[in-house]
Amino acid sequence: MYGKGLRALTLATLIALTATFALVVFYAPNDADQGFIQKIFYVHVPVAIITLVAYVVGGIFAYRQLRTDDRRWDVRSYVVIHIALIFNVVGLLTGAIWAKASWGHWWVWDEPTLVSFLIVFLLYATYQPLRFSIEDPERQARYASVFAVIAGAFVPLNFMAVRMATSLVHPRTFATADGGLPGEMMFVFLVSIVAMGLLFWTLVKYEIAQKNVTWQLRALRRRLLGDDAVAPIGRSAAPTIAPEARP
Amino acid sequence: MNPLALLAAAPAVPYDKAGRYVAAAFIVLFAVVVIYVAIMATKLQRLERDLSELNSALDERERAAAAPDAAAAPPAPEAAARRRDEVAT
Repeated sequence: MYGKGLRALTLATLIALTATFALVVFYAPNDADQGFIQKIFYVHVPVAIITLVAYVVGGIFAYRQLRTDDRRWDVRSYVVIHIALIFNVVGLLTGAIWAKASWGHWWVWDEPTLVSFLIVFLLYATYQPLRFSIEDPERQARYASVFAVIAGAFVPLNFMAVRMATSLVHPRTFATADGGLPGEMMFVFLVSIVAMGLLFWTLVKYEIAQKNVTWQLRALRRRLLGDDAVAPIGRSAAPTIAPEARP
Repeated sequence: MNPLALLAAAPAVPYDKAGRYVAAAFIVLFAVVVIYVAIMATKLQRLERDLSELNSALDERERAAAAPDAAAAPPAPEAAARRRDEVAT
């Protein structure tokens, strides 16, 4: 039952998002350097962090699929990567808005953090076409899992490489030498990370529950009306065997 | 604390260029969530349609299964009495 606990999770997400919004507007102090514009940070950075963590989690789920050959892990890996891609788009768009407000340009090509985030997005943008190109569900699950594991390992490597690169433009959230965030900003930032994490997990749970119900219904239709009443499965990027509707 | 007093004490949101950019960033996030919810609502509608189709198919099957039983069942007391009256006249 993938819908279990969804109501509580949705409520917690709503409360956390509302709290984040209120804290950002009314509690977090304005940055001395950037002023009010810096408040974009409380959306952009948590979304980016959750995106990168989600790609790694997608890789771990894919690894479990390869180890156990259990298609439920493929469904989880697919959905996590799918939602992470959506978060990645949000991260890119909010980053572009922040860049325009702060630097006067929508995009800066000589900034490693931005470009590396774009590279990660482009890498994962090939995940869905890769799945779509393979018709056999077993092979699709296996190849997509191999991709997710390798790409998931690339994400932290890429992050470390960017951290090691010297740049004077992009700010560091957890600076080591120049001091980090002040206490109030750090508190709001952590609340925002929790809110974005909850939002991410809620969307993942909704999508897995929806896929599960779809396939349960399909199995029920087959049992009630016979094989002829069930439309053949066309080529699809999404996993084509339900976690609980398997024979 | 009175929420209105809290609002009055809070720093004013600058409605100049900076405020617009910050609002745009938050709107992007909420727009994506709203689009996602709309897509999920469409999928939910499809599921409901499938479920009602299955329900009507099941109803038809139950009706079909009940029909031969009704034909084979003994006549109801009123019908039997009417038939008796018809025979008597």
